[in-house]
Amino acid sequence: MSARHSLRPPRWPLAILRFFIKKEYLEEIEGDMEELFYDNVARWTVRKAKRIYTVEALKLLRPVLLKKLGHSFTLPSFPMYRNYFKTSLRGLLRNPLTAFINVFGLSVAIGICLIVYAFMLYDRSIDQFHVHKKSVYLVTILAEHDGETQQYGLAPRPLGERLREDFVQVKNVCRIEEGRVVVKHEDDVYHEHIRYVDPSFFDMFTFPLKWGSPEALADLNNMVLSEDMAVKYFGEDNPVGRDVLVIFNDSTKKAFTVAGVAAAFPKAHDLDFDFLVHFDNINVADGAYDMDDWRAFLPATFIQVENPAGLRTIEQQLKPYQTLQNEALPDRPLAAFAFEPLTSLHERASHLRDAIVHDFNAEGRMGMPIIAIFMIALACFNYINIAIVSASKRLKEIGVRKVIGANRRKVILQFLSENVVVTSFAAGIGIVLCYFAFLPWFVQFTGWPLELPLVHGDLWVFLAALLLFTALVSGLYPALYISNFDAVKIFRGSLQFGKHNPFTRVFLCVQLILACITITAGVVFTQNNAFQNYRSWGYDQKHVVYASVPDAAAFDRLHAAMKQQPGIVVSSGSTDHLGKTVSPVLLRQSSNHSHEAGRLAVDAHYFETMGLRLIAGRGFREDSENDRRALVVNERLVHELNLKQPLGHRFDVNGSPYEIIGVVQDFHHWDFFRKIQPMVFTLATREDYRYLSLRVESGAEARTYEALQRQWARLYPEIPFQGGYQSDAWGTYFNSVNRSETFNKVIASIAVLLACLGLYGLVTLNVSGRIKEFSIRKMLGAGVENIAMGMLRQYAVLMTVSLLLGAPLSYFFSRAYLDMLFAYPMPLDYSGTIIALVILTCLVLAVIATQIRRVLHLRAVEGLKME
Amino acid sequence: MKKTKLGEFEELVLLTVAALQGDAYGLKIKQELEERLNEDLSMGSIQSALKRLEEKGFLNSEFGEATPQRGGKRKRIYEITSLAHRTLAELKAIRADLWKSIPKLAGGLKTI
Repeated sequence: MSARHSLRPPRWPLAILRFFIKKEYLEEIEGDMEELFYDNVARWTVRKAKRIYTVEALKLLRPVLLKKLGHSFTLPSFPMYRNYFKTSLRGLLRNPLTAFINVFGLSVAIGICLIVYAFMLYDRSIDQFHVHKKSVYLVTILAEHDGETQQYGLAPRPLGERLREDFVQVKNVCRIEEGRVVVKHEDDVYHEHIRYVDPSFFDMFTFPLKWGSPEALADLNNMVLSEDMAVKYFGEDNPVGRDVLVIFNDSTKKAFTVAGVAAAFPKAHDLDFDFLVHFDNINVADGAYDMDDWRAFLPATFIQVENPAGLRTIEQQLKPYQTLQNEALPDRPLAAFAFEPLTSLHERASHLRDAIVHDFNAEGRMGMPIIAIFMIALACFNYINIAIVSASKRLKEIGVRKVIGANRRKVILQFLSENVVVTSFAAGIGIVLCYFAFLPWFVQFTGWPLELPLVHGDLWVFLAALLLFTALVSGLYPALYISNFDAVKIFRGSLQFGKHNPFTRVFLCVQLILACITITAGVVFTQNNAFQNYRSWGYDQKHVVYASVPDAAAFDRLHAAMKQQPGIVVSSGSTDHLGKTVSPVLLRQSSNHSHEAGRLAVDAHYFETMGLRLIAGRGFREDSENDRRALVVNERLVHELNLKQPLGHRFDVNGSPYEIIGVVQDFHHWDFFRKIQPMVFTLATREDYRYLSLRVESGAEARTYEALQRQWARLYPEIPFQGGYQSDAWGTYFNSVNRSETFNKVIASIAVLLACLGLYGLVTLNVSGRIKEFSIRKMLGAGVENIAMGMLRQYAVLMTVSLLLGAPLSYFFSRAYLDMLFAYPMPLDYSGTIIALVILTCLVLAVIATQIRRVLHLRAVEGLKME
Repeated sequence: MKKTKLGEFEELVLLTVAALQGDAYGLKIKQELEERLNEDLSMGSIQSALKRLEEKGFLNSEFGEATPQRGGKRKRIYEITSLAHRTLAELKAIRADLWKSIPKLAGGLKTI
């Protein structure tokens, strides 16, 4: 039975034939095919016969033989489309204002969508250019901290070596250590970041070299530069073979030969380097560096494996090392090792602490699509409203079309295809706008190196999808609405329409709400910016200048040299410095519970110098041996640990008992984006001083700063000066706050512009529809008030409703937005929303006023004559 | 020859139908032509040519017998119309005429 069954022609090609081929031909063709099939079965194998059958069946699908698939599939023929195209073009030209509003709105929205697309493209392609990205993994560790498992991008120092030796599956291992050094070539001397890497670096990561060869990294005396660094030190010349001096510290220097220069990094990259040298140079840089120290960590250890499936077994076999590590560092036990693939490393960067990769785009990934959707929504609402109202001018056309035989479907099709024309037109302008205006501005503004590759196939798919989406969303409702008119009613003139369409009102309402939200966001950001600028840092940052020094000897010399400088109130030395460095510390309580805090090692004058305010207890005493075991903590720590009696409370730090002797007011170590962390101050030993901070008299800041630089240059001509005003310590923080303010203002302006354009178009059309009414009113002696009231009444309710809805929405939206961006957002009051409401109301009134003016200047006779 | 546009392939199909005389149905025509042309043809190309020719009035067709080999489906037997006959004859005459004028040229080519 089954043999007979399998001797039938294959089923699905037959089904296709039966579905597509004209009924009158089906019997003949089916018969022929079956005969052919059995012939082939006799000649070849059953399988081949079936294959031939399938191929033949598909080849039978030719226009002559195909069924006409019902009436629904008959599209209007080409001339009909030509007619639609012509009418829509004429329509556009006849109403340049509404055409402009539609096209402009849509093209701005599409341009913004393209920027979002470019951003997403950039974000998705970061670090995806590495050839071996699928087989390269970052070794990470999981550690429990306060009951939560946190993943760190670090690995214990010896682990890389162990992985290389003990696991055959591991093809390559690349350890990366980082260092701050001074690089000197002739007169160019700068502080630089250097990376110590294993020579396998170039086997695992794809960084093609412009000059030199990657193998050269195997030599301890060679160095590979990034293109930027090559230009910085050597200009455009090929530097291969030339020497640079690396000054690790005051006493250790080593000359390296430039053996390679990397080609410019792809724009979408995260992992990169300035200077690369062989990993073993770490022993030159730091004589005390212990490679077998399980307590210390490397910033990154990458492995390359042949078969990613084997990673699980490696993870399990790493248990002994985990034990080893936990014995060495019992304070912070490891929960497990984990491998993060390079492919998704950037995506996951925000979940990894202390990782070599960073994620700066999270904000954009959230905000940008929201903005794009806002804009598209505004533009679509504009289109919908204007399309519905302007249909009143085309009623007769629709009537005629219906009478000469267009059914509803055809009218819908006409309006949709008209819409496609408008949207395609807008898309064209949108691309141009984006390419020549938005994108350059945006790139310059955000610093994201975005590109819009026009040859990229996906871009066109995206654009087509966007077009289809916009065309459908904006066109479907008007098309359905308009096509529903009854031809007889149109010609009788009894069609009640436009004014009483609830949807037009709803759309306008939503538009106004959207505009309200964006204006509020813009206003609130401006307010928040002012708030952030005046927010206290928790200490006096304005009158402090500081210098960073490489070692204690340098500190002493600089300190002594600055003694003569007038205007200095007090000076202080410290290992860590506010806004610059902090080291993590574990505070162990007697209850065997430990807390993580930031630790700043400072001297006795630090609190006075920085203007930190003690609210309880005392600061450190100079040269007091007792105070070596003393802690000064911040309020946050007291609060988090719930200490009733902070003074005198004892902690165990690295095996020694410490006692709290003072509490300082909370201060912002890092910028306002980040929350205040629990902090402790300890007394620094003189040998560890790395910062000199000077509190100066008001007005003496610039003078002191210059003196610092001058003295430094005299003392250490080889090492560039590092230091600055304390108020600049947060670097680009205020720039970035200013930037997001500008950005929000621009977005708000565009949104308001779109909403106003839409409103303007709508009001104009409405007034045009009522021009006869107004003319008659004028003839009968109506004054300004009467006409203005007549017009305003129509919008008053709408305005009130949308503002009533918009105000609370904008309030909550801005609050959520601020909370998302800032750790300490401005306490939001109602003023932002009120200002936004006033702005919006004024704009709407201004729009309506233009039309009142138009009616007032209209000669009634002309109005009545108007067709 | 004015309106009767006949493609090369269509002409071949038409001639095959004429040659098969009363036994001309889809598969048979395909096999016959494949044998003569010594190349594989698809059922689709034959069928669409047949339908076009029928539309142009070169072919008539009617259902023939059903065999078990065909799963009980009837054949459609094609025969050429007098119009086709005339057109084919005309084409042949034109070709023959043209051929007559060729020998000179061919001879000329040979001397090269």
